[in-house]
Amino acid sequence: MNESENNFESLRRLLALKRHEIPPPGYFNSFPSQVLSRIRAGDTAESEEFAGSSWLLRFLQVFEAKPAFVSAFASSLCLLLLLGIVYAERPDGTPKTTLLASVTQPVVSLAEATSSVLSPSSAQTGLMISTNPVLSLESVPSLFGQQNSLVQPQSSLVQSVNFWVPGN
Amino acid sequence: MIMAEPAARQDLETPAPVDEEALVRQARRGDLTAYDELVRRYQERIYATIYHMTSNHEDANDLAQESFIKAFQALKSFKGGSSFYTWLYRIAVNKTINFLKQRKNRTHMSLNDLDFNAEHDPDLVALISDKTPRRDAGLMELQEKLNAAMLKLSEPHRLVVVLHDVQGLSHDEIARIMDCNIGTVRSRLFYARQQLQGYLSDYLGPT
Repeated sequence: MNESENNFESLRRLLALKRHEIPPPGYFNSFPSQVLSRIRAGDTAESEEFAGSSWLLRFLQVFEAKPAFVSAFASSLCLLLLLGIVYAERPDGTPKTTLLASVTQPVVSLAEATSSVLSPSSAQTGLMISTNPVLSLESVPSLFGQQNSLVQPQSSLVQSVNFWVPGN
Repeated sequence: MIMAEPAARQDLETPAPVDEEALVRQARRGDLTAYDELVRRYQERIYATIYHMTSNHEDANDLAQESFIKAFQALKSFKGGSSFYTWLYRIAVNKTINFLKQRKNRTHMSLNDLDFNAEHDPDLVALISDKTPRRDAGLMELQEKLNAAMLKLSEPHRLVVVLHDVQGLSHDEIARIMDCNIGTVRSRLFYARQQLQGYLSDYLGPT
């Protein structure tokens, strides 16, 4: 190697010229302050930009720092999805019972509501709360001194309907 | 003023490690005063390395600042496996090589002035003396030709020449900075010098 060093001696002397290339006077006096002001400006901008999503940043930083977390997170997501599918496919799963209960409940409630509407006691007390117009069975005094036509015996409310079908 | 003289090499080997460790610890906690001290300590060497790689003062200024900023932001990930100086150097070198790859062949030289001592450097005086084939070559011309020849080298070869022949770092230190073995550093240095000798044969004396 010494021989090759000697071979390149004049080249090394020429390369020494580069050591004499210097930046403008005072350049290194202002350099640190420029670096620090850029760091401070960067900190401010960063904190303003990501103030709302700092938790997301931290979350992503964990992924960046430890790539193993990425695979662990993806695996757990897949597992959750798989479990969800299997659980939904089960024939005797509790979700169906729950669904049935939730479906039957309104039906019962509807029946009760209907009966309560039709029962004279509840109609009389006027405790029904509904946004729909309710036909009251109570007799309403007519402006002309007659009975309201709506208040009739229950049987008269039922009318037989005959549809005429042409061609029969 | 001479950039990256062998005196810098002496500092490299004994850079008062206790002080540096304390400064790095403080800077990691966000102490900008401590980081200011670290910037002052290494700014000339980092700037010089980038400048000699790019041959452009403006690019070197931007890249040196960005290197120090990136180092500050990444201080929390600095484990202390190598010295702060080597770690900082790696950041600067990677940033510079990425920049040069993006820029590709769109090179524009913006050279710094030579200091007063250049005219009195005996080695340089010898180069422009009557022994040189191009006797009319002045220092400015020599500087331009030298930088143009450097830019013809590939980035890894240029980097080895800059770190060894200009900055005065040892093969071992260069291997640590470039994350390769010493043999690779030596072979790259040999090849790069051969290339340079070919490009600058008109300006070099007989070997």
